[in-house]
Amino acid sequence: MRRKITVIATAAVFLLAAGIEESSRLRTFAAKPNAVEASCDGACLNRFVDQYLDAVVAHDPSGLPLKKTVKFTEDGQRLDVGDGFWRTATARGTYKYYMDDPVAGQVVFFGTMREAGNPVSLVLRLKIEEKQIAEIETIVVRTGMNSSRPADTGAESFEKLGGPDPLFLEEIPPAERVSRDELARTANKYFSGMQLNDGKGDYSFFADDCSRIENGQQATQGRNTMASGSAPANSYTVMQGCRAQFQSGLIHFVTRIRDRRFVVLDTVHGVALAFTFFDHAAGNTRTFQTPDGKTVTAGPTNPWTWEIAEAFKVENGKIRRILAIFQRCPYGMNSGWSSWEDGMSDKARW
Amino acid sequence: MRARLLIVCLCGSLLLTCVAISDRNALAADESCDRACLTGMVDQYLVAMVAHDPSKLPLAKDVKFTEDGVPLQLGDGLWATAGGLGTYKLYFAEPESDAVGAYAVVQENGSAAILALRLKVAKRRITEIETLVARKPTTSFLNTDNLTEPRPIFLETVPPADRPSRQEMVSMVGKYFDGIEQGNGDIVPFDPDCIRIENGIQTCPSSASSPLGALSCGAQLSTKIFTYIQSVSPRRFPVVDRERGLVLAVVRFNHPGTQQTVEVPGRGKMTMGRYSQWPNSTQIAELFKIKDRKIKEITAVIVTAAYKAPMGWE
Repeated sequence: MRRKITVIATAAVFLLAAGIEESSRLRTFAAKPNAVEASCDGACLNRFVDQYLDAVVAHDPSGLPLKKTVKFTEDGQRLDVGDGFWRTATARGTYKYYMDDPVAGQVVFFGTMREAGNPVSLVLRLKIEEKQIAEIETIVVRTGMNSSRPADTGAESFEKLGGPDPLFLEEIPPAERVSRDELARTANKYFSGMQLNDGKGDYSFFADDCSRIENGQQATQGRNTMASGSAPANSYTVMQGCRAQFQSGLIHFVTRIRDRRFVVLDTVHGVALAFTFFDHAAGNTRTFQTPDGKTVTAGPTNPWTWEIAEAFKVENGKIRRILAIFQRCPYGMNSGWSSWEDGMSDKARW
Repeated sequence: MRARLLIVCLCGSLLLTCVAISDRNALAADESCDRACLTGMVDQYLVAMVAHDPSKLPLAKDVKFTEDGVPLQLGDGLWATAGGLGTYKLYFAEPESDAVGAYAVVQENGSAAILALRLKVAKRRITEIETLVARKPTTSFLNTDNLTEPRPIFLETVPPADRPSRQEMVSMVGKYFDGIEQGNGDIVPFDPDCIRIENGIQTCPSSASSPLGALSCGAQLSTKIFTYIQSVSPRRFPVVDRERGLVLAVVRFNHPGTQQTVEVPGRGKMTMGRYSQWPNSTQIAELFKIKDRKIKEITAVIVTAAYKAPMGWE
């Protein structure tokens, strides 16, 4: 009898979990129907990435299953498939992280490559339709393009890391999975909290152990406390945690985070990935007040922008890990995938 | 009686027609923008920019503004950061097409930048604003130390009888870009003493101590050291100032990153410039002084861009 009750209870939990998941999926389908889910799962999407990168290194797109209307951008610029990095890539690197969204038919790959023998970091987004590549979006971080670290593309740092933080690869227990909308909304709090950051927001969306890696380098301390010493008066520091950096109010110089496109919403792993731009207007926003009343002048002295792909691991409504690849680009640049109005808007889209 | 009435009617309608034509001429005179008007627009623009206040400008409703090839809201970009102007201002105008251009040194939060500006005017209102801003972080080389006054040759007036047509002037400049693509200085109508200054730095003739040695502008091209610039495209010539013998070309140099070395006769295998190392482009506003049907002097503002990044006006 006791065993029977246990079986019934287990079945009920399973059904409940399945119901939650199914309900979540139905909501997702209602929000963005996509016919490819059944035809191209995560493994299928990843194969497209490998096939694409092998073709890039061979400088030969002719064998790729490309849609007739395929669109390709590199660093925000529309190019013919076969141009740009296609002509200069010489090998694949060792760092590989695939982020799949079969519902949207999209995959984003963070990895390392070689260009004329030099290590570069790559972001690749493919959109697959009817088992053909419909969209190709890339960011190639090359030596000299990142002025804050002119000799560092991040690739060597990524390869030292070996791969993404294992947390990114862990599945969220089915009962704890959230909808695509909720996943995007949580990740978007990061952008909203950083834009014109004043230190006064509710930053409880950061998990206590949140940490961030940018272009292969640790950008936060693992804990949301100062590890040692004190922060400089006018700059946040990598010695702070995710939340402490935001609470400092010192990221005010990021004046606009725009064109927030959430292109991967992986509810199974709790991973959201957005392409976006961080603008630094560098005008009168350089002078601001921190929460403790200090007047600070900080940040870039001329207008420029980061072109960014940023991944978030979200668990229980909190951000635990952040992983970003980015490079400098002209101020106000468009992604090549948005209207001018959407490209300038700070509204998130998915 | 009937004939008299007809004559009165004809005179009346003729008078009305004459009044209408006269009104139109008066209107046209009011709406045209001569050289002084065009350069005055540049002055107004620079003053408004430093004041961070575009409302001071006579703008057309659908005015378009780009900075470094990116369409922006007027008031954004350099408008938010320009803190003052240097003494260097070089203006050129083409009243026939309501176009004017300028180079100016601008202070931006303590650093000097070079602004290349192009305005298009219609009915005395600004319809197009195109800017390139050479700043230290966006270009690999920049030196404003010597940019205190325009070089006098750019201010010289060409006698009316000696002025080539617009088409001839554009053709001569086009050959310069062809010469870069082909690595052939011989096809370019260079004056033997031609000087080129890029972002405030003289780049030809090169000095004896440079890796190329002392070479004229034409001889430099013929070494093929610049053939990593696979194409100069698109090319636009928005301001041709025949009175001063000046052509403004706004172009993009495309560097696919596929060729990094070249065999230079007498010097062996040489590594090309840093822009040869990966796919990238440069967006350039380049001003040519043409004298005696030769390219006498060149000055350019150059900004690094992503490979084949649109310039916003294609």
